[in-house]
Amino acid sequence: MTTEHDPRTRTVLSWLREDAYENPERMLLRALDEVDATPQRRSWPAWRSNRMNTYAKLIVAAAAVLVVAFAGFQLLPRSGGVGVEPTTEPSPSPSLLARGSFTAHGVAAELDATGSGADVAGTMALSQSGTNNAATVDLECARTTAEGLIEIGGLLTESAWDPDAQDWNDGFPTGQRVAIIFEPGSPVKAVWWITSANDGVASCAALFESMDGSGDEIVPGSPGLAPIQGTVEFGP
Amino acid sequence: MRGVDTELVKRAQHGDREAFGQLAADLASRFLPVARRILRDLDLAEDASQRALVAIWRDLPQLRDPARFDAWSYRLLVRACYAEGRRERTWSPNLRMLPADEPVASDGLDAVLHRDQLETAIRRLSVDHRTVLVLHHYADIPLDRVAQILEIPIGTVYSRLHHAMRAMRAAIDADARPARAEASS
Repeated sequence: MTTEHDPRTRTVLSWLREDAYENPERMLLRALDEVDATPQRRSWPAWRSNRMNTYAKLIVAAAAVLVVAFAGFQLLPRSGGVGVEPTTEPSPSPSLLARGSFTAHGVAAELDATGSGADVAGTMALSQSGTNNAATVDLECARTTAEGLIEIGGLLTESAWDPDAQDWNDGFPTGQRVAIIFEPGSPVKAVWWITSANDGVASCAALFESMDGSGDEIVPGSPGLAPIQGTVEFGP
Repeated sequence: MRGVDTELVKRAQHGDREAFGQLAADLASRFLPVARRILRDLDLAEDASQRALVAIWRDLPQLRDPARFDAWSYRLLVRACYAEGRRERTWSPNLRMLPADEPVASDGLDAVLHRDQLETAIRRLSVDHRTVLVLHHYADIPLDRVAQILEIPIGTVYSRLHHAMRAMRAAIDADARPARAEASS
């Protein structure tokens, strides 16, 4: 028998549970001394609520209208002549944004991104060693901050990621947006930014908005920016 | 596992050291006995508990759901125990034993006679097995929560617990055999 009715089991359990007073005071005081000298990791992009206020939303909406109007204007015929054949010019090949294979904060990524601004193409395949966790990000947008951080974002289009795989987010759920934030240099440092369902981030621009409005700005040297393993090549 | 004051957790997440001090005092009194029973050494247990408390403070802003604090904090304690276990892979020969003069339920078997055998047996277990045994049978954490803390499947928890208990019971059997042999001769 292996239940507690078994006298041997009872003996083991009573031995294991027997009282032995351990005074934690010395350890606690040492720990609190160390805590006093230890900063918290505040810049980890585990989650962010979308704090964009109504005013900011109006600005984004107005900007979107202007973009659509400008695009429409650009599509109008220039010389008004009926039957004028549009000239076809070879489109330039998209320029490299970032490419590489790296691991940041335990998440491995195969990154292949071209373009810039709101015109980014490519994918980022995510996985986690020793697990079946995998996800694909369709890249959409990028920007370089005034401090030189390169931020590349996109939409999670496929995901088989355990929500409890990390302590710092709910995994990489399909439909959410992800940004990888690089601090170029040697070593390259990076940190992830993942939106959650209640963020209401409906576009890549809104992803950056949510980052800006989080009140927890990531800048070079932020503790969350940790050296990557692997290599990333950045475009010009 | 007992509940934790989520307001304290939230305050500590925002850098409130006084709130963290209150959390830490509670955690310290729970962590040290658990770490001691996993590591079988008070000095190692103190180091592991201290390491875990500092890690909790450092990483607390990353904890999304304060309601998960208890399981999350135990996870960091277990990681710290593993780290201490690796650092001190060869166990010190002058380990402090648990006091021998405590009353123990014997139920027909004289538990005091089994102390050395049990201590030897638990030291022979891997830290993986000891951890499951202590979290479940000492800290009274249900097995599904143990699985969450250790981030392993529940089946693995059952398997480790089964293995650990079998080894511990076998130690008692081994201890009893010579006595029976002497009695029958």
